[in-house]
Amino acid sequence: MISAIVADIGKVLLGKEHQVKLALACLLSRGHLLIEDLPGMGKTTLAHALAQVLGLSYKRVQFTSDMLPADILGVSIFERESGQFRFHEGPVFSQLLLADEINRSSPKTQSALLEAMEERQVSVDGETRPLPEPFFVIATQNPLHQSGTFALPESQLDRFLMRISLGYPTREAERALFQGVDPRAQLQSLKPRIDGATLQKMQRLVGQVKASDSLLDYLERLVLHTRQSPECAIGLSPRGALALLHAARAWALIHGRGHLLPEDIQAVLPSVAGHRLQSEGGDGTQLVERLLHQVDVIAA
Amino acid sequence: MKTEERLPRESLLWIFAAQFAALLPNFAFLPLWIVGAWGFAVYWRLEVFRGRRDLPGRTVKLLAVLLAVGGLLLSYRHWFALEPMVALLAVSFTLKNLELVNRRDAFLSLLLAYFVAATLFVFEQTIPYALYGCLCIVIITSALAAQLGSYSASPRRALGLSLRLLAQAVPLMVLLFIVMPRLGPLWAVPQNSSGSTTGISDSMSPGDFTELSKSDKPALRISFDGPVPPPEQRYWRGLVYSVFDGRRWSLGVEDEGGQRQWHRSQRPLPEVGPRYRYRVIQEATNSRWLFAMARPHSTTDGVVETFDDRLIRRAPVYGRFAYEVRSWPRETLNDVVPLSAVERRRNLQLPRDGNPRTRTWIRELRGRGLDAEKISAELLDFYHRQFTYTLKPPALGGDSVDEFLFNSQQGFCEHFASSYVFAMRAAGIPARVVAGYQGGEWVEQEKYLLVREYDAHAWAEIWTPARGWQRVDPTAAVSPERIRDGLQSAAADEFMEDSLLPLHRISILNRLRLQWDMINYRWYQTVISFDSDQQQSLLKSLLGDITPLRIAVLLAIPAAIALLGILAWLWFSGRGARAPVTSRLYRKFCRRLARAGIERLPGEAPRDFARRVRAERPQLAPMVDHITAAFEKAAYSGDPMAEKQLRRLLRRFWPMRTAGKS
Repeated sequence: MISAIVADIGKVLLGKEHQVKLALACLLSRGHLLIEDLPGMGKTTLAHALAQVLGLSYKRVQFTSDMLPADILGVSIFERESGQFRFHEGPVFSQLLLADEINRSSPKTQSALLEAMEERQVSVDGETRPLPEPFFVIATQNPLHQSGTFALPESQLDRFLMRISLGYPTREAERALFQGVDPRAQLQSLKPRIDGATLQKMQRLVGQVKASDSLLDYLERLVLHTRQSPECAIGLSPRGALALLHAARAWALIHGRGHLLPEDIQAVLPSVAGHRLQSEGGDGTQLVERLLHQVDVIAA
Repeated sequence: MKTEERLPRESLLWIFAAQFAALLPNFAFLPLWIVGAWGFAVYWRLEVFRGRRDLPGRTVKLLAVLLAVGGLLLSYRHWFALEPMVALLAVSFTLKNLELVNRRDAFLSLLLAYFVAATLFVFEQTIPYALYGCLCIVIITSALAAQLGSYSASPRRALGLSLRLLAQAVPLMVLLFIVMPRLGPLWAVPQNSSGSTTGISDSMSPGDFTELSKSDKPALRISFDGPVPPPEQRYWRGLVYSVFDGRRWSLGVEDEGGQRQWHRSQRPLPEVGPRYRYRVIQEATNSRWLFAMARPHSTTDGVVETFDDRLIRRAPVYGRFAYEVRSWPRETLNDVVPLSAVERRRNLQLPRDGNPRTRTWIRELRGRGLDAEKISAELLDFYHRQFTYTLKPPALGGDSVDEFLFNSQQGFCEHFASSYVFAMRAAGIPARVVAGYQGGEWVEQEKYLLVREYDAHAWAEIWTPARGWQRVDPTAAVSPERIRDGLQSAAADEFMEDSLLPLHRISILNRLRLQWDMINYRWYQTVISFDSDQQQSLLKSLLGDITPLRIAVLLAIPAAIALLGILAWLWFSGRGARAPVTSRLYRKFCRRLARAGIERLPGEAPRDFARRVRAERPQLAPMVDHITAAFEKAAYSGDPMAEKQLRRLLRRFWPMRTAGKS
């Protein structure tokens, strides 16, 4: 079933099977996804396709610099007929929320969304309202050097289970894109493969993927390396390590295995740890590459 | 003064704790004002810490020094002795508290504390004190450890650190104890002991021995090399009383002087071999006499033989003292040394008058023409028929011998010995009172004889032309069990009945006490009396022949073992936990492939590696795929059978050969 989902999305987003699987793994391990890329690379397409295939209610918010938290969370409005306040739900009350260009909005708005992501509930006017289940945020952000962006602080980056970037399509994929039909039309034709309840069942299955001692040893070695290596300015936090394990489990499930292999960890590590680690120079992407080469898979 | 140099609170408390620990046992020996001064100095320093007072100025300090010196001058008259020296150390220790400002002062004070703690062993060398000394060292070292670093360490850490440090030093200590040359003291400081300990004294008057019978302190511990004398032969002679003033027996003036002592070369040893060879460990008596059976000879340094067959030490016995003795019982010697005129006069001396009834009675006996042996037998028979042995005799008046012999007829050893010698002298037979210990408890486990204070005894010796000096114990005529079984059974009802609790009646406590004495004995034998002779013999038994090379080997072997141990410890602690079996098996597989020319990269997962092997060496592919699958199953999916399969596959996997064949 999962391979069918991957294949369906692959029809819309050509040649990005790895990223699609990562996004799916992120969703299965109940995490939120940050896509960092240039405009026009297919971020929105991916989010939309996921929502379609998984049968989730989907809303999209375009973040702007003048946006307020109420624009996302919702607001209570006085209704004359009933003579009382009624809460109008914001776009956050959906199963899959695409927060487009999240780094364009002010930190205040960003943090309102990120809080909702973490707590999976919204408190407005002293009343706490739960968000629908499953709840999944795909945020996109432009590379930071672009003008008019507010960088997400580390603590908020940490809320995202994964950060991926789609990158330019391969030559074949781009040629197919030129020759093929409009992806938007394709998108409309996608049928839901599963519904929300099935998705939740699959999320529970992720937790049952077995992690052996040998594998946990490898995980520990990786985490320890990030904390001890002089290259890393900030090591992986316990939350980061746990995220890594969850994501790897989802990855194993996507590949139809009931137990974890080192490859699962290696596959998800760049997207899980990349935005959490910091090297002296700045970003942790290259750091993760080196980490994967330096830490021995087999215990010594 | 910079603030970071100031002593923090914990440092101060540690220093005071260390000082207190080091001084505590010395408080018993020091004058009381030093204790008070120390307390006052500590109080002042604490007040300084709390900001209520300033550190004393120059004048106050000068005044304190003057007061202290004055106090020392008043307290001690003899300066050239150990106790004033220790007191001086304690005083300087105390005064240093008044200028305890920075870390350097703290170090100074603590290093001084080691020294003060060491002086404890000048006075006491028993096990409890040794343990206390160890405790002191631990506390002082902890105090030192707590001074390190920019802030004070927590007490637990400091204590742990010091314990670890000292534990590491123990092997070195043992080694140095065994190997370091034992030097005699360069100069001896006379010990000044005002308080005399209980024990036999240089004179005997009625009632002295009842005091001794109340004490169960050990007096002698004797181990034998060869035969052990039977109980009735165990007479440990210490003192000979030859002067009687009507009431009190004493040594006589000239006896302790040097001219009557026999130096080693002056008196020929008997030609026959000695019957008993033994080693006596004597507790401190603060006097010079030693205890041995007649006729003794000692080869220990500083021990001389007197001509009335006793041993005397040149210096008083201030601490436990061990000496080797050989004894020839008098009956084994044939030659009778004639009695000189001076000796005859000394041993016939009696006060001019007093005790008339005894004198008349003896005159009667002499009138019957009895000789020395007969008179003695008559007396002993008289004792045997009419006298009772008791530790609580009625008090005697002026003519003590008369009253004892004809009125009270109750008493114990000193009464019998005293009246017997008086009677014999009255009969014109040279006689003397001998005091010492009789009997002792045989400790089977450790093979030594334990003689306690209550074994103190007095008996008599008479001289006859035919046999020379011979021992007569009049107490044996009255109470043979006193001689055979000891005081405890001879006077069971009266024995130590004044003690607060009748603990000696509880047998388990007696056994425990004996155990404790055995431990003490062993402690003394192995540790305290470890002198250069014992060191030589131990080294000889270890090395065979003592050469510099062998000593170097003796030192080098433990050092090498210790270093190897440390190396092994570092090696194992650095390695961390051992890798699981499957990982080790997979590594074996990787090593074999590496020899065949394909090396796995550290970050390469098994499946990726297998893919690479398949690409580079297609002929190995099936085997590698199997092994990788088995490994994945064993390591990651927890299949118990897979490990066996992995082993089996690995046994058949020799890529070198496969590669070589193809």
